[in-house]
Amino acid sequence: MADNEKKKSGAFQVFKDIIYGMSSHEMTRHAVRSRASMEHLFILITMGDLLGVPILPPYYSLRLLPYVTPQISTWKRRMLRERDITDTLG
Amino acid sequence: MSLREVFERQPERRYIMFGGKGGLGKTTLSATCAYWLARQGKRVLLFSVDPQASLSDIFQKDIFGKGAVPIVENLWAQEIDADKRIQEYQDEIRQKILDMYGFDRVPEEIDSYIASVSAEPAMEESAMFDAVVDIIVKGDYDYYIYDLVPLGHALYYLSMAKIYDEWINKITKLRQDMGQYDQVAATLRRQENVEEDKILEELQYIKRRINTSSQILTDKQRTAFFFVLVPEEMIILDTQKAAELFARFDVPISGYIVNRVLPEELRGAKIPVYLQNRIKMQEKHLGSIRASLGRQILAYVPEMERDITGLAMIERLAQRLFESP
Repeated sequence: MADNEKKKSGAFQVFKDIIYGMSSHEMTRHAVRSRASMEHLFILITMGDLLGVPILPPYYSLRLLPYVTPQISTWKRRMLRERDITDTLG
Repeated sequence: MSLREVFERQPERRYIMFGGKGGLGKTTLSATCAYWLARQGKRVLLFSVDPQASLSDIFQKDIFGKGAVPIVENLWAQEIDADKRIQEYQDEIRQKILDMYGFDRVPEEIDSYIASVSAEPAMEESAMFDAVVDIIVKGDYDYYIYDLVPLGHALYYLSMAKIYDEWINKITKLRQDMGQYDQVAATLRRQENVEEDKILEELQYIKRRINTSSQILTDKQRTAFFFVLVPEEMIILDTQKAAELFARFDVPISGYIVNRVLPEELRGAKIPVYLQNRIKMQEKHLGSIRASLGRQILAYVPEMERDITGLAMIERLAQRLFESP
């Protein structure tokens, strides 16, 4: 009897997992990955120096702004873009 | 050694700085020193890197943001208006963007970035820093006298030069590496030569400016840094700490000036107990200053009977500091 109950709940669990996999798994994954890339961006902005991306002294960084003006929006998009293994393959 | 001998024996020291806690008389001594040097026939520029500068007050003349203003023969004074400079600089950047891309207005995203960067607290210091480089690079004067900000700020100013220097080296290197890749790509495509990298040029310009400034601050041949202190316990302790920190930044400390010493004449005269106690306290502290600094003390400046403002008063103090034995 107890065995039967276990079996039943096991089957239900599998069913639940399948439904989850079909519906929300993709969304969850997306959310987690967005969160992670934002985390990375945040670290880049605040701790960039650790990776050799210096935090610019603002006065002089303005001097460089005119040269990168056209690239700014593309750069922002790229920094925020998701990346996965297909990027490297493609 | 006296203050006068320091100047006479080391004429190659053209960058003169007075440092110390706030309110001890840095501005007064800078002005007095500048005045005396001008009287010796040297062309002297006295300038302030303090956003709350008081050169206007001491010379009783509004010189804020007006460039180098003549005070007496051979002496000019300047107070930098950082806000105005930031404003002009922003406009310059905006104009450059418009010119480079033929826009009729700066893109909103860029414009708000310029505005937000300019509101950062570091901006004002950086603008001052850059203005000082402008002044020094021109090299029109025999002596440059810095009226420095109080100690904490001065240290920040010094450390900023170091940080800037490191930053710019790193980023210039990166840019040069990028240039090498461009070169490789160009060779593969059989192009004759790559375009000049404008960003690299800008970086090298920034680097030159930062180096000019930081080299002067730590140049033992051309720079003299004087500490101002008064005979009071807390000031003595603070000055010792600051001197250690400055030494760590390789600032050449040329000597100490003890300001606000109660005049000798008072002793013996019939004076109230309060003053007697003040004198006793000063004597004790003067003793400890002598013991710890000894020959590094270049001058004892007496407490004057009134504020030191106006040229007549500066002249009097200059006599006491440089001419009396």
